[in-house]
Parts: sequence; C-alpha cells; structure tokens
Amino acid sequence: MSLRTAVAHRNLLYLLSLKELRTRYRKSVLGWAWSLLNPLSQMVIFTVVFLYIFLREPPIGDPSGLEVFPLYFLAGMLPFQYFSISVTASIGSVQEGSNLIKKVAFPHEHLVLSIVIAQFATLLIELLVLSVAFLIFGHMVLPWLAPMMLLLVLITMFTIGVALLLSAANVFFHDINYLWTIVAQLLFYSSPIIFVTEEIPFAWLRLITSLGPTGSFVRASQEILYDGQWPSIERWALVAMYSITSLLAGAWVFNRLSPRFAEEL
Amino acid sequence: MSWLGHGNPDDHGIALRVDDVTKTFKVYDERATSLKQFIAMGGRNKYEEFEALRNVSFEVPVGEAVGIIGHNGSGKSTLLKCMAKILTPNAGSITINKRMAALLELGAGFHPELSGRDNVFLNAAILGMSRPDIARRFDDIVAFSELERFIDTPVKTYSSGMYVRLAFAVAINVDPDLLLIDEILAVGDVTFQQKCMEKFVQFRNEGRTLVLVTHDTSSVRNFCDRAIWIDHGEVKADGSPADVIDEYTETMLEAQAAADGSMRRGDGPLRVTKVDVLVSDTRMDRVRTGDDVTFRVHFETPEPVANPVFSLSIASLTGIPVTAPSSRDARAVPVSVDGKGHVDIAVRDLSLIPGSYTIHTEVSGWSRQHLYDHLQHARTFDVLAGDSSEIDGLVTLRPTWTWSGDGVSSEIYDRALPPSPDDDGIT
Repeated sequence: MSLRTAVAHRNLLYLLSLKELRTRYRKSVLGWAWSLLNPLSQMVIFTVVFLYIFLREPPIGDPSGLEVFPLYFLAGMLPFQYFSISVTASIGSVQEGSNLIKKVAFPHEHLVLSIVIAQFATLLIELLVLSVAFLIFGHMVLPWLAPMMLLLVLITMFTIGVALLLSAANVFFHDINYLWTIVAQLLFYSSPIIFVTEEIPFAWLRLITSLGPTGSFVRASQEILYDGQWPSIERWALVAMYSITSLLAGAWVFNRLSPRFAEEL
Repeated sequence: MSWLGHGNPDDHGIALRVDDVTKTFKVYDERATSLKQFIAMGGRNKYEEFEALRNVSFEVPVGEAVGIIGHNGSGKSTLLKCMAKILTPNAGSITINKRMAALLELGAGFHPELSGRDNVFLNAAILGMSRPDIARRFDDIVAFSELERFIDTPVKTYSSGMYVRLAFAVAINVDPDLLLIDEILAVGDVTFQQKCMEKFVQFRNEGRTLVLVTHDTSSVRNFCDRAIWIDHGEVKADGSPADVIDEYTETMLEAQAAADGSMRRGDGPLRVTKVDVLVSDTRMDRVRTGDDVTFRVHFETPEPVANPVFSLSIASLTGIPVTAPSSRDARAVPVSVDGKGHVDIAVRDLSLIPGSYTIHTEVSGWSRQHLYDHLQHARTFDVLAGDSSEIDGLVTLRPTWTWSGDGVSSEIYDRALPPSPDDDGIT
C-alpha cells in the first residue's frame, strides 16, 4: 500500500502497537517485570561465564574508565535483543493476522510495524534502567543518550527492513521461521556482546565481528554507552548503509508480495 | 486512500464502477510450503488457473441499494473482496468515488483479552476510522450495542450475542458513504435485527450507497433497488430485484429439477397449488429455530378424491432429506376432498438449524399405488438462528450436557464466539 494509505491508517498503527503492549504479558504473574528479567538473567549467566569460567578481565571503557562486565554486556545486548526479538515476533505476524487480511483492506505492514514499535517501547524502559546502573557506577551516561537515540533510529530502520522481508517470505515458505532461529544465533555470536573484539587473535575474525550488520551497531552502542565516545564516522556510515539497504529491500519485497497475501494465506 | 480518490469527471454521480474485471486464482496441484520442496519441484509450483470472475462490468449510482446474488461458488464473494480492495483483479479496474467501508466479518480483529472499549477503538481503526471520529461516535456505538455496563470488561467474558451486538454497532457507526456488506443482516436476536434493519433503512434514506452480497433473495427483494446476478463469474442478469430474482430462482430450481427429474409428476386430478410457511398466521420466507411453524399446503381438484394421502418432504438445498411426514402416518386422511382447500401441518418448536431448506409435496391414494401429484421444490425457505446455537448438521436434538469425573471442573468456560487459538490449551 502507498505511503498515503499508511499515514491515513496511523491511528490503526497506534492502536495495534498498544494492543501488542497490553496483551503481551497477559495471564503472567510478574507481567512487565519479565521484560527486564530476561536480559538480567542473561547478564548474570554471561557474567559468570566471562569472569569466572573463562577468567577474562572486563574491558576498560575509554575514556569512561568503567571496568564492569555486566554493563558492557547490556550496552551491546539490549539493542541486539531489540532487533532479534522484533524480527522473531514479526515473522509469524502476517500469518497470525491472516483472518484480518482476508476480511479487511488495511496496510499489512502495520502488523509488523506495531510489533517493532512495541519492542521499541520495551527497549526504552530497559535503557532507562541501564542508565541508572551506569550512574550508580559513576559514569555520567545522560549526555550520551542523544547519540544513542540517533543510533536507535538506524537500528530500527534495519530491524523493520529485516522484519518486513522475513514476515512476507514466511507467508510462502514456512521454514523461514526455523532458518531465522539459526541466523539469529549466528548473528549473536558474531557480534561482540559476550567478548571483546580487540582480544580476538585472528584479524579476519576481528573484521567479521566489528563489521557485520549487527556487530557494527553493537560496537557503536558500546562505544556510546560504555566507553563514552562518539563512534567513528566510518562506523556511522557502515551502520547507516546496512540500515538503509535493509529498509529499502524489506519494503520493496513486502510491497511486492503483500497484494498476494489474501490469496496465499 | 484510494477510496478518497476523486475519480474522473465522467464519474459524477457514480459511487462505484466495476470495469471489465477479471480475477483468476491459482489452484495448486502440488504446493511447496517449504524451501526443500520448492527446490525439489524445480523452483516452480504446478497449478491450474481458475477464473473466478470474467469481464464483470457495472456501475452503482450514488444512493442506490444493490443486491448481488448468486449460488455458492458463483464468484460473488470474490467480486466483493475485489471491491473491498482485499483482492487485486488480474485485469480491469474498480473505481470507488466515495468513502467506503466493507463489512465482510463482524468484529474483525477483536482481541479477547482487551476490554469492549479498547476493541471498539481497535475495530473501528481497522475499518479505517480516525481517532477523533471514533471518540465522537463512541457513545453512539455503546448505546447502540446496549452494553454500557460491560464496556470495560474484556470481550472474552461476553456471550456470543453481546459480541455480535458490539461488533455490529461499530460497523454501522463507521459512517461510510458506500457500504459493502456480506451476509450479515441475519445476526443477533429478533429485536436487535429489527434495530439493524432500521439503521439500514435510515442509511438508505440519507442517500448513501449500499452493496449487499447474499444468497438470501428475500432481503434483496425487500431492501434493494436493483439486483445483479453473478453466475460462473459473469453477470447473468442486472435489473429490478423482482425480475432478476424470479429468473434466478427459476434457473436454480430448473437446475435442481434437471438433476432430480421433472418438477411435477402424477396423473391428477388433485394438484398442489402452493405451499406457505407461516409463523403466527403470517407468511414468512425466513423462520427461526424454535419457532412454532405451520406449513400450509394449498390444493385444488376438479372432482372429488377419496382418502388422499398428503406427504411433505423437507430437505436441505443440497438435497439431504430431513423429514417426511405424511397424513397417513399421522392418521389424518379425510374421507374425501373436493374443490379448493388447504391443509395445515403445524410444527411446534422447529428443530431445523440455520440454513436453506426446500419442501417437496406428494399426494397419492391410500395404498400409494396411485400418484396424484408430486411437486419438487414446491417451496424453499430459510431458517435463521433462534433458540439453539448449533450450526453443524441439519436438526438440533436439543441435548443437555452433563459432566462427571473427579478432574472435571464444575465451572463452565463461558466464552464469546468466535473462538480464537488462545482458547485451546492443556492445563
């Protein structure tokens, strides 16, 4: 559907996102606490593995001077998780909206966009908690939230592109779902979230981990939040390139395929 | 939005223009649903093309109420989905010059966990309403649904009647200039249906345009200015409801008769002239499950006939017989009949479930050796939902359900229809 249609339906997008948020933790005792408990439990696991099993020294933030592995982990993990959970939830969203697609004319991309928006709201809460943690450890993170927002805009574009592409493809091939589980794992371990790029002994591995599509934004996020420095212009350019390519490709494929959804579902 | 489009100057006074529309579907012999299969099949799916609509053209002027009729599989629903912009035609174009709303399903997008209030906003947004519009009409919607007390409880606690009332209240308040409807006139209880009917009449009187797709010819007859009959994907007839429906019904019955043999057999002299369906002494095309219904068989004979046995066979439109009472079995055979008359077969508490039914009549001698008159499809009638909510099969036996067992909860899962996958689960 055209951009005009999407704008005319922005009310629907708002309400779908709200529905997504309101119904996510229904029938769960801890409710919204889960959205924080999940990254926190991973933080504990990976901290134990990093510090006490692999016996690594936490990376030193430059110029922040921080030497706290859990904070390093969360600075990379939160944006990565925002991306991966959004895509995972989006893949089935067109399929799940099949009844709606077959009965009502509306911009199908709203099914995907509403999920990303809801995840974005979750991420903001998580970042708020993380910022408090940084302050407790004596790092004045607040001014760095401005470049972080800029980075999040780019990450969101990247996420929407991948989510649109895979959710549309999943209508035709249901194995996209399983494929994504593997790809998400690969992306996680190829991004410097639970390790430090500079400590990798092989140059080609260092290159992959810092230049990959998720690795590059994970590095940028760590530099902004943990190190307290502006990422290099090259890094910004790389992240922007991935984001724009992803968004254009995803939107193009989705628009091509979406008129066929009502017949194929 | 395309339905806010301004159209071309020729379209003045035209609400909807369907121009030479063709829609084909791919019918797959073998369909790859995984990449492995897709590659194994050489990267292509085998399919045949099925033409659901072929060169369909018509215009609907502003303010007209049009009924689109046709049997199942005729393409009328495909046409509606094309007009609603859900499906894209392969060839031809559909121009809509008015603000359109399409009601293919009531409560599309209702979420069971959300309150009635949230669902009103969500459903109205799905139908294309803006937030200020919804906010302005919210009170009207709630008042129409008569659910003021329950509007802040989740809709999963609603009964199916409440669910439908809320959904319909939203739909009718979307306030379009052009409304496309699919078979949803028959919802809710009688009072609510009456209310919906009034709303439709008001809608028409305000000069708005209505397109109704249905197989229920009586609502087209009562309600529309014009009828279009779609058959095998083409416009077969287009004109006044009375003419088109007569032609349609005749062809349908002929087709049925061609399959079943001739319409009328028998040697006379007695003939059945017509069959009426009555509720409270009023002739009806549609009755409800649970109604007290009288089938009135009119007959005439030029000479006296001794002990005639009348039988009535009620069958579904697909030809499955449901029941066949006869006056001999009921020990209700008069010694003689002559001239004109009628016999009433009264049924209390009708057990037929919603659907379309047809009546065949037969009159024979007492020994059934001599057939006076056999009339196929003397009458067809529709049954709407009444005091039973069963939908499968042909009749309800009005069963009572009683549970036993230590692990069976005494609480009943009371949940609004239609169900969602969330309803399933192992506890």
